[in-house]
Amino acid sequence: MKRNVSIFAALFIFVVTINLHAQTPQATPPPPAAPRAGKFPTPVEQTLPNGLRVIVIERHESPLISAQLLIKNGGEVDPPELAGLADMTANLLTKGTQTRDATKIAQEIESLGGSLDSGARWDSSYATVSVMSSKIQPAIEILADVVRHPTFKSDEVERLRQQNLDNFTLALGDPGAIARFVAARVVFGDSPYGHPVSGTTESLTRITAADIAKMHTRYYRPDNAILVIGGDINGKDGLALATKYFGDWQKPTTPLPSVNSSMESAATSKGGRIVVIDKPDAGQAAVYLARTGINRKDPDYFRGIVSNSVLSGYSGRLNQEIRIKRGLSYGASSVLDTRRDVGPFMASAQTKNESGAMVADLLLGEISRLSSAPPADVELTPRKAVLIGNFSRNLETAGGLVGQVGSLALYGMGLDEINRYINNVQAISAADIQKFAGTRLDAKTSNIIIVGNAKAFLPELQKKYPNVEVIPVGELDLNTALLKKKQPA
Amino acid sequence: MVRSSIRLILVACLLVSAQVTGAAQARMPQLKFTDRTLPNGMRVLSVEDHSSPTVAIQVWYHVGSKDDPQNRSGFAHLFEHIMFKSTKNMKSEMMDRLTEDVGGFNNAFTADDVTVYYEVVPSNYLETLIWAEADRLSGLNVDDANFKSERDVVKEEYRQGVLAPPYGRFEYLLQQKSFLEHPYKRPTIGSIEDLDAASLKDVQEFHATYYRPDNATLVVVGDFDQKQFDAWVDKYFVLIAKPDRPLPRVQVKEPPRKSETRLTEYGRNDLPAVGLTYLTPRQADADSDALRVADAILSAGESSRLYNALVYTQQLAAEVNSSAETREDASLFVLTAVLSEGKKPEDAEKSLLTEIKKLQDAPVPAAELEKAKNQIITNQLRQLETSNGKALALGEAAVLLGDPSRVNTDLTRLQAVTAADIQRVMKKYFTDSNRLVLYYLPEASKSKEGQ
Repeated sequence: MKRNVSIFAALFIFVVTINLHAQTPQATPPPPAAPRAGKFPTPVEQTLPNGLRVIVIERHESPLISAQLLIKNGGEVDPPELAGLADMTANLLTKGTQTRDATKIAQEIESLGGSLDSGARWDSSYATVSVMSSKIQPAIEILADVVRHPTFKSDEVERLRQQNLDNFTLALGDPGAIARFVAARVVFGDSPYGHPVSGTTESLTRITAADIAKMHTRYYRPDNAILVIGGDINGKDGLALATKYFGDWQKPTTPLPSVNSSMESAATSKGGRIVVIDKPDAGQAAVYLARTGINRKDPDYFRGIVSNSVLSGYSGRLNQEIRIKRGLSYGASSVLDTRRDVGPFMASAQTKNESGAMVADLLLGEISRLSSAPPADVELTPRKAVLIGNFSRNLETAGGLVGQVGSLALYGMGLDEINRYINNVQAISAADIQKFAGTRLDAKTSNIIIVGNAKAFLPELQKKYPNVEVIPVGELDLNTALLKKKQPA
Repeated sequence: MVRSSIRLILVACLLVSAQVTGAAQARMPQLKFTDRTLPNGMRVLSVEDHSSPTVAIQVWYHVGSKDDPQNRSGFAHLFEHIMFKSTKNMKSEMMDRLTEDVGGFNNAFTADDVTVYYEVVPSNYLETLIWAEADRLSGLNVDDANFKSERDVVKEEYRQGVLAPPYGRFEYLLQQKSFLEHPYKRPTIGSIEDLDAASLKDVQEFHATYYRPDNATLVVVGDFDQKQFDAWVDKYFVLIAKPDRPLPRVQVKEPPRKSETRLTEYGRNDLPAVGLTYLTPRQADADSDALRVADAILSAGESSRLYNALVYTQQLAAEVNSSAETREDASLFVLTAVLSEGKKPEDAEKSLLTEIKKLQDAPVPAAELEKAKNQIITNQLRQLETSNGKALALGEAAVLLGDPSRVNTDLTRLQAVTAADIQRVMKKYFTDSNRLVLYYLPEASKSKEGQ
């Protein structure tokens, strides 16, 4: 890289000699000035007597506030036959309380100019309001009402069920969405992270209003919740609002439900499955490489995210090889999704059907290459800068602040990690990355999933992998790790 | 996704001002911008803002997909990608070295009327980026291999945006069929055939025609010193000469629609979709404000009229949306619905028309009007949280509305919209003869009909 720069300088002299009217005054970029320091806000927190943990982070640049109530369980506690239960429960919070129906909730919050959103993810369920700071009090009152007093009326359950069924149908028309569903089943099998978090046609049909009410009673309790308020508000006012609207939320006398761990089954998933979902009318093939990754508390966390940054991002290795060098895709990337238990690592790209097998090869090749030699400093330093820059910019908005801090709190991390993040990233060495890639991202135990018009790429894929499982999209069953509907006996 | 085309023009930007009622108690930021035009015609807008040690740099070129050359639909967008390849002084992807590698990012988008390049970097790199933007405005130096490989990327972008998603082609067709004469009828992403026909010669020609200082606006927002910034602009941009040749502008006028157009197309979607479009005036027209509030009343949030009627009460649709898609020369008001399982497109269309008629027949109640305005204001505040968002708002006011101060005054215009204004524009534009109706049905339903 350094050498290229000096070649540039030589060229420049030549150009200027022949063209005195060169329009830019110099051929090399001016060097940067001295960096200017930024600072991140420090969260304040307090646990109310009922067990609710309240966190406030100030940022006064914009007159906006975001407040998020997190429940420390989500899709991972869905009973296997009721996939989508946590998500339906969280979605229904805003569809009616003891004193407001769905229409009134939407009317009131939107009259404030605000938005109220709820749902479930892995490891958590959430309800979030975002409003101008002058409207925070009425907005928090509504937030407390929907979390504490939802009614789960049957007409609302039916309405949401139909919407979720339609959304699932829509997702099954998109090769990328199908590939993500299949990848989760392949990596996690029948364990808790394996199902679609919003459920399947079959499971959504089974869920009853009673199941939903039971899930709410069990998990929505102050000692299983975190309230994060961020933006244009000071700590004292934030804590006062929390106490006023959540202070009398009664903690049940029953013990907190114990969270069963999916770690065992996930970590022992043997990998090596090659799955093709044949969708003959697909306009593009979605290619995924998927395997187990790490959990959020893993001591290798920072080694993992820096390794992933070498692979992913615009100038990461995957996009360099697949998009920039070869024009095979609009974008290739990878995600190290860290959760309470071991989450997935996935690398992916969409490409024309004909190049599906080649892109799978390239993804695999880049993962292997990362474990075969340490990245050079000229590569590693910028990839760390990418992580640090993204992290810092994310903290510039009220929503970003609340998301970051909420995630640290959810996983029991110290909130001061915000101010240690940069050092933690900088401390990772090239050798750390090679080791992480070799031990935690081993390409040989990865799975490959391709969703597309199989005719166009299957012969080439089978040359390398004689054990490809081909499943016509019409026979795909996301309810089971087998992925295939049982043949009628 | 990076270096993306945006299908439709940016959401019209309105900014907050001090005089608003209702939401006026909130502290509303005003953008204190400096406005300067260089001797070569380039406009420079800047806002000092030291809230974080970063700076956003944008260059707005007043050229968009409406300026695609003959038989080269998608070219303005393909060209946007090529602007990241080599120049005289930068090798391919050097822009990434100067931004991403130091913890910043870059991107660009092409719309019907403009192409915008932007970077956000730690503020100590501002001079470097001003140099880089000046360099690629001065000229490109792209080789054939780079050109072809990037063209393949754009073809994958086409497949990913139009062919792979179940409703990609529906949205493509809605734009394509909504204009008869104006080049807006060519979707920004273009077509595979026209992309294949493009050559390096087209690239040089397009740069010479449109990438010139008197067709560019530089917008910089963030942590810098104004005097120092002005000196850098003098050093790197002032030298770039304004060409003698005239700057071509699209002169085609879209004729008024004379009667309703009805179309049916088939795709790989499982659930049918219905789209309606109405031709509406150009973005700078005084009616744009009322249309924008009408759009919020129809579809902003779950208390909006369309959501309430089609999704919540009648359960006809899985998704419903409306959008006042403003453009420089002529605009569209678009309504779309993706149906629920087993529902008929005819019923969804009827229901959309009923909601339009209600807005024509009776004034919007005061509380509902206030709600829509509050929603728009809060969205704008969110846009203004970042320096890049502020620069986008300022650039749009300057380039598409022709007046950067609109960034600070448009909220007053928005607040002045009355229930009578909304009723008036609904009657004026939402007529039967000004309507296009597109049914987008599953391929499977076609063969059923054929049997």
